[in-house]
Amino acid sequence: MGPSGSGKSTLLNCICGIEAFDRGEISIAGKPLSALSQRQLENLRRNSIGYVFQSFNLLPTLTAFENIEFPAQLAGVDRDERMDRVMHLLESVGLKKRAGHLPDALSGGERQRVALARALVHRPVLVLADEPTGSLDTENGRQVLELIESLSKEHRTSVLLVTHDHASTRICDRVISMTDGALVS
Amino acid sequence: MVRTTFRHWRASIGQYLLLIAIVAVGVGAFNGIRQASRAASANFGLFNEAVSGRSDFIIESPSQRISEDTLSALGSLASYPDWHLVPVVEGSITALDEKGEPTGQLRLVGLDLLSLANLPYVAKRPIEFAEEESTWHEWLGSEKDVWLGRGTANKLNAKKGQRISILASGRVKEIFVRKILDDRDLSVSDDLVIADISTAQGLLSRKGEINRVEVVLERAELREDTEYLNGIGNRISSLLPEGLSVGPTKNRAVDRAAMTAAFRLNLTVLSLIAVLVGGYLILQALDAAVVRKREETAILRSLGVNGRILFLTGILEAVAIGILGSLAGILVGHFLAFGAVGMFAETVNALYFATSIEAISLTWKDCATGLLLGFLFSLVAGWLPARDAMQTPPAQILSKGDWSPGFLWLRNPRFGLSLIVFGALALLLPTLSIQGGSRMPIGGFLAAGAWILGSALLSGQILVCLAKFCHGFCQSPVSRLATSRLMDGSSRHRLAVAGLVVAVGMVTGMFQMVDSFRSTIQEWFDVRFQAELYVSERGVTGAGSVNGIDPALLDELLLDKSIDYADVMYVCHAKAAQGITLLAGVDFDAWTGFVRQIWLKPPGTIRPSSGAEPALVSEAFARRFDVLEGGTVELDTPKGPKLVSPIGIFSDYGNEFGTAAIAIDSWKEWTGADRPINASLYLADGSELEETKQRLRLSYPGLDVRNARELRDVALGIFEQTFKATSALNAIGLAVAFVGLLLGLFSIFDESASTWSTLRHLGFSPVQFVLSAGFEGAGIAVASLAGGTLSGLAMGWLLIFVVNVQSFGWTLLWKVPLADFLIFGLLMVLVGFLSGCLSAIHWSRRKT
Repeated sequence: MGPSGSGKSTLLNCICGIEAFDRGEISIAGKPLSALSQRQLENLRRNSIGYVFQSFNLLPTLTAFENIEFPAQLAGVDRDERMDRVMHLLESVGLKKRAGHLPDALSGGERQRVALARALVHRPVLVLADEPTGSLDTENGRQVLELIESLSKEHRTSVLLVTHDHASTRICDRVISMTDGALVS
Repeated sequence: MVRTTFRHWRASIGQYLLLIAIVAVGVGAFNGIRQASRAASANFGLFNEAVSGRSDFIIESPSQRISEDTLSALGSLASYPDWHLVPVVEGSITALDEKGEPTGQLRLVGLDLLSLANLPYVAKRPIEFAEEESTWHEWLGSEKDVWLGRGTANKLNAKKGQRISILASGRVKEIFVRKILDDRDLSVSDDLVIADISTAQGLLSRKGEINRVEVVLERAELREDTEYLNGIGNRISSLLPEGLSVGPTKNRAVDRAAMTAAFRLNLTVLSLIAVLVGGYLILQALDAAVVRKREETAILRSLGVNGRILFLTGILEAVAIGILGSLAGILVGHFLAFGAVGMFAETVNALYFATSIEAISLTWKDCATGLLLGFLFSLVAGWLPARDAMQTPPAQILSKGDWSPGFLWLRNPRFGLSLIVFGALALLLPTLSIQGGSRMPIGGFLAAGAWILGSALLSGQILVCLAKFCHGFCQSPVSRLATSRLMDGSSRHRLAVAGLVVAVGMVTGMFQMVDSFRSTIQEWFDVRFQAELYVSERGVTGAGSVNGIDPALLDELLLDKSIDYADVMYVCHAKAAQGITLLAGVDFDAWTGFVRQIWLKPPGTIRPSSGAEPALVSEAFARRFDVLEGGTVELDTPKGPKLVSPIGIFSDYGNEFGTAAIAIDSWKEWTGADRPINASLYLADGSELEETKQRLRLSYPGLDVRNARELRDVALGIFEQTFKATSALNAIGLAVAFVGLLLGLFSIFDESASTWSTLRHLGFSPVQFVLSAGFEGAGIAVASLAGGTLSGLAMGWLLIFVVNVQSFGWTLLWKVPLADFLIFGLLMVLVGFLSGCLSAIHWSRRKT
């Protein structure tokens, strides 16, 4: 966690291989990112990382179901398996009845729950969550945090959550603070 | 606001210069075509004007030939001091090269060179016809001496004293270049050959015959005095023998302008399309700019700038592009006119009347029209993007995610459906009469515009339906993403489809028109041209060169033992109340008997009116003079007004003025002429076609002797030439539509920036992005193809059954070229796919 401008989002971008870093090394599942080609980085994002954005960033032309299904398709999960996973996740986030709706028709809390399901559908080893409650009211924020906690346990996935809100850290096993681009604690 | 707007110009100067250039090309095309067609058809055939000066009246016969008998009766007119008479004979000759092959058609004008010096114009600036004034008598009465302007001499590479072989009236002859007129003030056209009147008559085998007598007033200062002119006109008229009429020279210009009215109208419509497509590109480019500046606009909204100001700024930007582009377009048009004028003059010469190119002039009216046109089209093109910019929300709302106000009304099918209904109702409108008896199918044009626009607006629905249908079959993330974006049918997707639908509708409509025309002409040829050989004057082409063959020469040819029967045709112009038409003399028994035609109404199915000459008329004639069900048409002839009444109607695709064919004897009696225009030869049994053809060619080098296949090739060659401009226009229309698609896709990707960023985080590779964009482009192309083909079929039907029938008076067989459609469709989808890929690559590079 850290204040605005401390470099939290940049760090997430570096971890998922979208932004290059000058010094140091980042390894995911034992793989150092600096040794990976662009294609390998894409594969890494596709197979090993899930991403939750502050402003949801659902694909506006796909339904909730299709949004969740999309990363599994990218990762090459076969159709039946994909259907099972999506239905299970929709049930887990409580949106089974909203599966056919476009993002425009969903509330902020619902969108973020879809985004969370999307981040988990391809069974990544790491989920990067960039201020996932930043655009939500307190109640929806609380629900989303609880889902992150429960789903990460269920799917045995590590979550790297970025926030400037101290209350959000209650679900975290470890809290690291950042200021001006450096880890301070 | 203005400052922030125009700072973008500085930052992307290349792009804005391109927009200005697009307007310049559009306005330039319009202005250039206007100036070129004016210069090509303004000269209405008075080629002697350069030498003898402007005339005030013309004395002529309806057949435009005055015989020696009639001429002698004009003697009394010559004695009046108020005017000068300038008799003129003119015709076409063809120069031959050293091998005896035709090199170019020239216009031979015969004038009374001795009496020219008395004309007020020549008296002011004498023309030297010889180096030594004392040698003038040497060329008087000569059989061969001619004078060439510098342009003609350069074209023929001729020098003073040179002998040149020519073809005239079907015979090989020779001319002698007495002098080259180098006077810089003398604007002699570059195909003009001047000779003494008797020399020209001899060369054209028209002894004792002239075409017209021009009257030049002595008191040039009274030329604009209507009362004086009326008095002179009445005096001359009272002195004229029967069969001749006098009219102000400017009336001839009006007649000729009337003949080309439809041609010029078509050119204007075509050139307006250039401005229209320019406007479409401006719309797409300004729309792209609005999307690019969206964040800045949103910030301005947050700072309190209201939508109205944003709208006005957008309009100001469009108008600035329009005005700058129009100013450049006026210059571009002037230069374009120099390039196009030759082509137009050729068309006018081939289809309407003899003309030569006048100096291209840029008038204040041209400048004002160009400026107004560029201004109006830019205003309309800027209106939609300006409205879009106006709807931009404040930055706080914009930053919440993807937002696309777009042109929401595009999603409403009511606009499109209303236009389709309006188009159908417009078909009930009667035709509009324009100059010279031509008719403008106003209802057909309105229906075409409304249907094409209506289908463009409805095409968005087709896009959505097709995408929904395909989405179910798509399994890969790339294709699913692409189809889902198309299913959403954003306004920008719809705008891109609409632009392409217009282009595809036009192109497929023209495909049908050209193919139907070609098939109809081929069938017409197969039926109509059953003779073995066809004879006409060699080297002479075009409607303005109706010289005819020397009758003695044709009589000699027809004595050939291989010829069983010759269908000889005589043609001259004739004037009816509704305009100029063609009067033909034919072997009436043969035409109503064994000569085959495509009959709309076979001979005998219409009862002729009593007291009128029975005639077989072309469909164009029947429609133009409203005698489809019978009736009479009064034609002016040298022997006074005569009535013709149709007894049958045949298909003829040779001219749009219509032809009335009467018996040869009547034709000769009415016109006082006896020069045939062509002959179709039926060979006797046992005659060998090729051998006869070669023998006749060798014996009559001044005549063209062709078999049916060669004649068909020549005619189809002219047909293909006529439609070259249409093909070029089709290509331009499509190119513009695809540039529009590219610009549209840039806007679409710009608007979806956050989507692409998300996809990148999800592991979407650049190749997948490019492929997805390619599918999106291909999907737009498929939807456009579906919508465009439907509107194209409607266009084809309209062009063939409404516009052609009402404008030109001929019926075509409707043919849909399925193979062309298929190839075009595949090509279009491929280009759509590549456009998508290209725009995605370009967009990614710009963003990184």
